[in-house]
Amino acid sequence: MENIVFGIGIAALTGALATVAGAAEDTESNIGSQGDPNSQVQLAPQMGFLHRIFNKAVAGEPPAYGLWCALGAGLAWAFMAMQINAVLAIVLGSVIAVFVQGVYATTAYLGRTASLKKFGQPVYVDILKSMTTVTMAHAFVAIFCTVTLCYLMNAALGHPFPLPLLGLLWGIALGAAGSAVGNPYYGKERQYQNQKFGAGVPISASGNIVRYAEAGERNSLDNGFFTAKLGGPASGVCFGLIVFLELWRTILFEKIGAGWGAIIVGVLMILVFTIIDRYIEVWARKTYGPYAKPEEASS
Amino acid sequence: MSAVAAKPTAGGAMNPTAMAVGVVLLLVILGICWRVSPGLGLMALIGMVVGGVLIGFGTHFVPVGGAPAAMGQAPGIATGVAMLAAGAGLAGLFGGAWAADQGLVVAVVTGAVGGGLMMAITCMMVNFIYVFGMGIPAASGKVLNDPITGDSQKEFKSQGTEGHGLPFVSFVGGVIGGILAGGGGTLIYLMILDVYKATLPTMMKATEAQIMPIAISAAGIFAVGIFLVNAVLTAYNITGTIEGPHDPKFKRWPRAIVASAVASALCGLAAILIVVM
Repeated sequence: MENIVFGIGIAALTGALATVAGAAEDTESNIGSQGDPNSQVQLAPQMGFLHRIFNKAVAGEPPAYGLWCALGAGLAWAFMAMQINAVLAIVLGSVIAVFVQGVYATTAYLGRTASLKKFGQPVYVDILKSMTTVTMAHAFVAIFCTVTLCYLMNAALGHPFPLPLLGLLWGIALGAAGSAVGNPYYGKERQYQNQKFGAGVPISASGNIVRYAEAGERNSLDNGFFTAKLGGPASGVCFGLIVFLELWRTILFEKIGAGWGAIIVGVLMILVFTIIDRYIEVWARKTYGPYAKPEEASS
Repeated sequence: MSAVAAKPTAGGAMNPTAMAVGVVLLLVILGICWRVSPGLGLMALIGMVVGGVLIGFGTHFVPVGGAPAAMGQAPGIATGVAMLAAGAGLAGLFGGAWAADQGLVVAVVTGAVGGGLMMAITCMMVNFIYVFGMGIPAASGKVLNDPITGDSQKEFKSQGTEGHGLPFVSFVGGVIGGILAGGGGTLIYLMILDVYKATLPTMMKATEAQIMPIAISAAGIFAVGIFLVNAVLTAYNITGTIEGPHDPKFKRWPRAIVASAVASALCGLAAILIVVM
């Protein structure tokens, strides 16, 4: 019984860490314009819309965070093998991984922006100096939380995978959850704030991203400020639910029916999320209604 | 032409010669494995091929909209095919590896449910952000009615887009994709682990308990590697984006099955050869 209570406590802690990690990851990627919306940041100057948005599509978010979290976890593992305190080892590992992220961010911004020279897009050194450190700070939070939850899974819950491999797995899952949930909010709702609310961006508007703020030109810090209010927390809830429910069902129900207990609970949870999803879909159809009457619809 | 009227493009055509060459290659690789390790090695390799095929097939179900989905211009999840499949499948592998002591069937099913659960949560949150964050209902661009619920789709597409969000059939496709990918990844891991557990003690002159950390780590890394190979292969087959099982591109799956089988066999053979040669 004590083991189960301990396990549930660890699961709750990892879930909380995952929630913070997801929120930080999405905000970091939005400030850096790393996910799929980056296509518009890269496209805008080619359509004649010069901007001051940071542009660092190092890779897709999942492989990028897979690399950084595996790096942080691997270094933390090595520091722990050198008998360094686990907390300090995780902090040091995450710090070094963040410097690698900073190097990638810098080279990505310079390289990608320089490639737009023929369209007249300048490389802004002040943007490089002010944005890179902010993305690094958010990346540190995301990497530190992910490596810590991996450490808890390994050391406290006894998962057989070594820390670096857990870092890779959960880093990829973190990037997948963050990009899936956070990208539309940044891509549609922020970059195309000048388009109609409650509708997708018409393909003909591609590249015409919002470039001006309340005062002066918009930059990526404004974007991070905006998406941190909904897109970031929603990504955090998504990743937090994934981590917490995966651990919760295993810890609490694994012993029932020689493993089948956790499986049955997992299937039930899938059904619950299916019902919630269907409710959301039907609610939207009823509340917002169709864009055009069926007989008049054309495309 | 609108997406509703779109037909599978020439890129989706099957090439019988290439398929035959793939099958021959698969048989050759299995033959090599039979020569070097006829018992355990061959069985493990067949298991890895089955796991790879499950991943390749499962990835076709995952609704991925890529960059257009991030602007609400196309339905699906706004990320890459390989990345999302990897995220789901590896979350499944995490659970499956944890349940490895409870037998092959329980571990594989645990991995499958883990992958499905990850996709169910992700797909639900995607619709949550579209509906409550952006005020956009889900609509498919590839079918007039949702094949499962029968809901009409066309009038819920906003002007100038191919649809947006995740209609129910895409949600179900995502969950099925996560289940197949999670189960396949776990199966590959368990097959490699079995081979390493049997061969490493003799090779390293150590007890099974002593070699377990190495066996688990190496099997885990190979499983992740083979997983990514299959997910990326399928991403090429899909050419970017897919809405789910109702998308015309889904019909391309036989081509990916053959490619996944050959690639998994080749990677699996390398994983086996490092301990039996």
